[in-house]
Amino acid sequence: MWIMLGALAAGAPTPSELEELLLGVAAGDREALSGFYARTRTAVYGLALSYLRSGHDAEDVTQDTYLRVWDSAPAYRPQGKPMAWLLTIARNLSLMRLRSRDKVVDLPQEDWSLLAAEGPEVTAEDRQVLSAALFALTDQERRVVLLHAVSGMKHREIAQLLELPLATVLSKYRRALKKLRDLLEGDEMR
Amino acid sequence: MTDQELERRLYQAVDHAVPDQLQSILSRCEERKGTVIPMKENTKQKKRSFAKLAAAACLALLLVGGGAAGVLNMRANAVASIISLDVNPSIQLKVNNKEKVLSATPLNSEAEEILTDLPLEGTDLNVAVNAIVGSLLRHGYLDSISSAILISVEDQDQDRAVRLEESLTSEVGTALQNAQSGASVLSQTLTQDTQLETFAKENNLSVGKASLIQSALRLNSALTLEDLSALSVEELSQMVNAGAPGLPVGRDAAASAALTYMGLSESEVRKLEVDAELDEWKPCYEVEVETAAGEYECAVDAYTGEVLWGDKPAASGGANSAGAPNTGSGTNTGSGANSGTGSGSGASSGDIGAEKAKSIAYADAGVSASDVVNVKVERDWDDGRWEYEIEFWSGSTEYDYEISGTDGTILKRESESHAVNASSVISAQAARDAALAHAGLSASDVWELEVDEELDDDRPHYDVEFKSGNMDYEYEIDAVSGSVLHYEKERD
Repeated sequence: MWIMLGALAAGAPTPSELEELLLGVAAGDREALSGFYARTRTAVYGLALSYLRSGHDAEDVTQDTYLRVWDSAPAYRPQGKPMAWLLTIARNLSLMRLRSRDKVVDLPQEDWSLLAAEGPEVTAEDRQVLSAALFALTDQERRVVLLHAVSGMKHREIAQLLELPLATVLSKYRRALKKLRDLLEGDEMR
Repeated sequence: MTDQELERRLYQAVDHAVPDQLQSILSRCEERKGTVIPMKENTKQKKRSFAKLAAAACLALLLVGGGAAGVLNMRANAVASIISLDVNPSIQLKVNNKEKVLSATPLNSEAEEILTDLPLEGTDLNVAVNAIVGSLLRHGYLDSISSAILISVEDQDQDRAVRLEESLTSEVGTALQNAQSGASVLSQTLTQDTQLETFAKENNLSVGKASLIQSALRLNSALTLEDLSALSVEELSQMVNAGAPGLPVGRDAAASAALTYMGLSESEVRKLEVDAELDEWKPCYEVEVETAAGEYECAVDAYTGEVLWGDKPAASGGANSAGAPNTGSGTNTGSGANSGTGSGSGASSGDIGAEKAKSIAYADAGVSASDVVNVKVERDWDDGRWEYEIEFWSGSTEYDYEISGTDGTILKRESESHAVNASSVISAQAARDAALAHAGLSASDVWELEVDEELDDDRPHYDVEFKSGNMDYEYEIDAVSGSVLHYEKERD
């Protein structure tokens, strides 16, 4: 059986749907921005989290990303790649945030648990998965796995974004999934 | 737990954790001061007829004649629309509601030259624009496929702005076609925005270019107006599309980096063209160079100025006959002993040849030719000399050598022990065949085929990637058994 990629596949927004919303945003339509935000915020937050490893910083970057979208939508030229455009903005803001602090602040695991617990929809299983993804993986493994599974990027696009050979991305992806699987299945056994 | 299940759980966890910040975002969004309609780019067109060229010349003559006679047919002096034309010369035209030109203002010194002897006041806008394009062409602007002209129409009446934008884009496109220019036409409409106009005026910019610069500054506050003003409208529009991650090195620096890489001096260059590709995933400048010996291409990283890839002229005299580019390196891979001699196997004057280079590497590693497998030899022109890069395996050790092609000196040696023995590993070719067989495709059905070794992974394997139809395929093939460990197929 073929594996169709992308956890987003079921409800994934199409490029033309997003570009139509961006046209609305360009014209100053706040409802269009709301629609664009609803369809893409998980991907943006996932990307920010993969770089910053901090829920608070990821929130800030996500918010700033959509303000940039509002400001620069008029300059967006429809060419069928709205997600690439959006995620490039989010990545640049994440890198600026990283540069603005001396080093990545390592959130203690408990802090993340508290933060995640604030959301009404976050389940115990979610907390377990997030904790594993943010604290058990190396920086590159975390980025590769979140960019693919959450932001919906293809491995090839991740290789370009992170400037890594495709083979390295694939290998890190396999390793990251294996680590997560071992950790989560180990937890379930207990 | 399957991969899909893991991916789903990760997505779901982040989806649940992302806070709803919509109200906060909306409260921070400022009202639009002026509306900018997204930029359109007309594709480059090449063919045209001499009849049209003659027609353009006639138009220019009519224009001069009309101006000399002082035929003005204006009913109102009120400015209805402001049109800016930007190449590097920036020109601003003010027109009334009858589309007659009220004033034509050069915004920089290059533009003054373009407008010299062009009596534009009182003429129809389309005639004026044609004359300006003609003058730009005569002065050597817009003569290459890498140049662009930006037409910006600023008008409170958006319907009229859009109509003007369309007619001018078509007019300019035809004029460029007639002149056999490969330049592209960018266009945008803007509503009147006093703040933008003031900003443009204060900085001697057209409103169109000012609008692009403002967008770039909003995206990246570390950029400066001075630096951005020096960029072409094409570079600006591309970098704004890409989120303005930084300041590009510019065309001149890119050209200079390319020539250095190619080992060419400016006097050897017959033709040089630099095309900005700043909205590509890897933003770069593509540089094409023509010399008496041939044509060479190279891509320069737009933000670091480093050469990403490129052709080099073959060595001039001595080591290799000078001639067409790309004759210098050859790669050959094979799994059998002594396979893969590379294209440089025959020694020429000043070049020891691949066989000699291999024997030097084997002797240094203490192995005999019959012990080695997976030999890969590449010959590159580097630092003004030939170098052989030689990779091979013996037992479970992988060796990597660089040997000077001039005198056989060992420039680099590396060895690495692996968990697997090379003799138990299938060849890259066999891994490729296993993936193709699984996909039910033959080599002739696919393109962009790549095979990468991952022999130090927990489970040594090859990554095989290719495209066929409108699908991307990614495989992991067990490097020992040749079985398929993992595969994905997704729409391209």
